[in-house]
Amino acid sequence: MQKQEVEKYFEKDIRENELLIYKVCSIYAYTDADREDLFQDIVIQLWKAYPKFNGQAKFSTWVYRVALNTAITGLRKQKSIIKADQPAILAANIIDDNYDAGEEDRLQQLYTAIEQLGQVEKAIVMLYMEDRPYEEMEEILGISQGNLRVKMNRLKEKLRQLTKNM
Amino acid sequence: MELDDLKQKWKQNDTIRKIKNTDIMELIQHKSYGPVAALKKAFNKQMRLMAILPLLIFATNLDDVQKVFTNIMFWSYIAFCAGVIVYSWFNYRLVRKMEGMDKMVKPNLEEQIDILETRVRWQTIGIRIVAIYFIILMEVLPYIQHIRMLDKWHSLSPLIRFTFYAAFLALQYFTSRRVLYQKFGCHLAYLKSLIMEME
Repeated sequence: MQKQEVEKYFEKDIRENELLIYKVCSIYAYTDADREDLFQDIVIQLWKAYPKFNGQAKFSTWVYRVALNTAITGLRKQKSIIKADQPAILAANIIDDNYDAGEEDRLQQLYTAIEQLGQVEKAIVMLYMEDRPYEEMEEILGISQGNLRVKMNRLKEKLRQLTKNM
Repeated sequence: MELDDLKQKWKQNDTIRKIKNTDIMELIQHKSYGPVAALKKAFNKQMRLMAILPLLIFATNLDDVQKVFTNIMFWSYIAFCAGVIVYSWFNYRLVRKMEGMDKMVKPNLEEQIDILETRVRWQTIGIRIVAIYFIILMEVLPYIQHIRMLDKWHSLSPLIRFTFYAAFLALQYFTSRRVLYQKFGCHLAYLKSLIMEME
């Protein structure tokens, strides 16, 4: 396949999955500049790894792997701790006008709570919110399904506690 | 609000703030800015610099080429630079292995930790070899060729000289440990904490 053709296929595949990359950027990067940098780095890593994609996993699963690996190991400008009283940065990355004020407040609390999770915990929560089956989560993260189920239950409880304390 | 209530909202495609100007074809022309790319760049630079250094020494002594070629110091530099080039090339290859981001997250992190630990181990050995190499050079050189700048040093008693070498090696041991920790230790600790999070 010629380079131009590969580029064409790559662009098409990425366009079809770009929302997924936006979501990873929203959950891991706190400023617009960081999100842009992370998006760029993920796309570069995807492009580098694209020739190695052999179709064994779903393309979206493969994109998740690259995006999460890049976000977790690559973004070093991240703030170490986001305090509970800080305005929800993640919430600012999600726009929605369809919720009423009370609902919006609770959402903000939940987003703020997610921001306080560890890097791996964020990945698990994000995949859960994306409705990815545990089997696919295992394929992405390399954590056994049993372990993931336990972690997910603990995370739900942790988020419940965090939002309660806000 | 429960996490499950957030699911629906999260899945609404129009609620995620998009990034402006995402020209995919333009983006892939850029270079990665990540820590692995930075390490790769640093080793590449180190190799180039070490290749240029002997040429610079040679260029500054063009008026007496014969003198350069018969100078043992020049050949010592060559040996040192060649050593650093080999060492940087080894590191460069090691770091390239870290570039693959398409593996599962946990095995990828474990591999990165393994590579970084190997690198730190080799760097510790490398620095020690360089220090011992220069100590041997300072002791042996005057027996092979007269080096004026070593005259004063060799006029000191061997006891003082070897005490200084021992102190130098001890200082090197502690400072390199500290520098290596600052350079790689934090990142290693961070990667290990991620693995802990996964257990």
